[in-house]
Amino acid sequence: MTISSATGIIHIDPDRRPIKTSNTTWRIRLTLVILAFLLIWQAAVAWFKLIPSNFLPAPTEVSVAFGELVVNPNFWSALAFSLGNMAVGLAMAIGVGVFVGIALGLSPALRITVAPFLWLLYSTPKVALAPIFILALGLGSASKIGLVFLLAVFPVLLNTMEGTLTVSPSLVNAARVYGASRFSVGWKIIAPATLPFSLVGIQRAVALGFTGEILGEFLGGAGGIGHMLEYAAYKFLMDEALAIVFVMVIVSNLSLGLISIVRRKLAPWDTDQKGM
Amino acid sequence: MTTETAQRRASTAPLISARGVTVKFDVARTGKQMIALSNIDLDVMEGECVTVLGPSGCGKTTFMNVVAGLVKPTSGSVFIDGDEVSGPGPDRAVVFQDYALLPWRTVFDNVRFGLEMQKKLSDGDWRDRVQNAIDMVGLSGFESSYPRELSGGMQQRVGLARAFVAEPRILLMDEPLGAVDALTREVMRDEIGKLIAQTGKTVLFITHSIEEAILLGDRIVVFKSKPGEIKEIITTGIEGMGSERNAQNDERFHELREHLWSVLANEAAAASK
Repeated sequence: MTISSATGIIHIDPDRRPIKTSNTTWRIRLTLVILAFLLIWQAAVAWFKLIPSNFLPAPTEVSVAFGELVVNPNFWSALAFSLGNMAVGLAMAIGVGVFVGIALGLSPALRITVAPFLWLLYSTPKVALAPIFILALGLGSASKIGLVFLLAVFPVLLNTMEGTLTVSPSLVNAARVYGASRFSVGWKIIAPATLPFSLVGIQRAVALGFTGEILGEFLGGAGGIGHMLEYAAYKFLMDEALAIVFVMVIVSNLSLGLISIVRRKLAPWDTDQKGM
Repeated sequence: MTTETAQRRASTAPLISARGVTVKFDVARTGKQMIALSNIDLDVMEGECVTVLGPSGCGKTTFMNVVAGLVKPTSGSVFIDGDEVSGPGPDRAVVFQDYALLPWRTVFDNVRFGLEMQKKLSDGDWRDRVQNAIDMVGLSGFESSYPRELSGGMQQRVGLARAFVAEPRILLMDEPLGAVDALTREVMRDEIGKLIAQTGKTVLFITHSIEEAILLGDRIVVFKSKPGEIKEIITTGIEGMGSERNAQNDERFHELREHLWSVLANEAAAASK
């Protein structure tokens, strides 16, 4: 919509409405696509033998391996090891990321002095630093936690900084007009305005942190589902390896789903949900 | 205005008094100073509605921010009831062009925000006051809606309620209808006129709409840009507020509108040279 006024033309964009498909229709379609995919896979490997099954086992073999995996106590302790490291690394990343992000957002002096180093580190392929972490922190949990932290801290930090920087000045003015103290401005305006940004950062951090954990287990040590996957591949047990990959997909999706729920609970006003 | 308020005005000193208000900004890019406001003198009487009209960038919003206590003048001062303004105060409330509502708060919680910041929630009747303000701007039934669920016009009603509930002596309105669609704009202009008349607040109303300036103002202050200065102050001399004026005082309304158009057109031509 366009409005002409004495001093110019104002454009008002209508709300962009998402395409509305009912949840059930969507679920049915998704299920059909997955079933078709599994069917083609099964046909290619087991029926037409286009791919040797010791390279790519058929879905039926993978599901048998998955069934064996979930009754194996070693699997559960490996999963607990991975998730435990991830939780510690993420908690540190969230704490440091939010704190430093807010500090950088509020202080131009800090931004000028610290930000160049952060960008330098951010643009480094962090995976390349993994061997250094293993050397410095050993083969145990510490090196994995370090890698989770390194990969997860940046999205939290940068998103929080962006959130703090983009708080609308008129919201701050509205608070000042009614005599808000600096503390009130921080707690009642800047914190809630930044929260949705931090939550988006945390969601990204969870996905990246998981990558960091698996990577750390690949490179050294003897625990976790990443190590289990590497060992299965080494023994050429491709059905078990794929079953573990399947577990990783589930873990990753469950944790992302959990954060989505947290975002809806903590920031229900943030409807555009800012993507991933 | 009634004779009673006219008498009261004649016998009292101005409520808002600006003396030599000058605001300069440092422009980081060029390293030069920009003069946003130059030597503004203006008196506003208690109960008066003064509209400030001018092209974009003429410093009218800066002037309002100085009166609000949000911007410190480089030189000069604003006095409220004789006291020099050194910051925001409970005697003034602001209605913002972009509404400035907190998106994480419901309508009710947005309206109570001013009272909360002013630490007036210990007053026993604050809930009634918030509800009355919501009813007054016509938002009954929307108390638990979030701003994003409301149209622009309705969001600005929330902004009005938030300002009124704090019971300031002075309402500062910064192009409150600037971001509202054209039809809603006319409806709300008349409603704001009624609210101002009902509550008898002293109002400084910033606008770039000639119609708004005439239909709401007891006096119209015309700003010119580069630097921001007062070009002209006109007493409208029309009774009533809002659309009443348009209907009842056709001749004066059109006379004023034509005059203001030519003043602003000259201003715009001069600014673009």
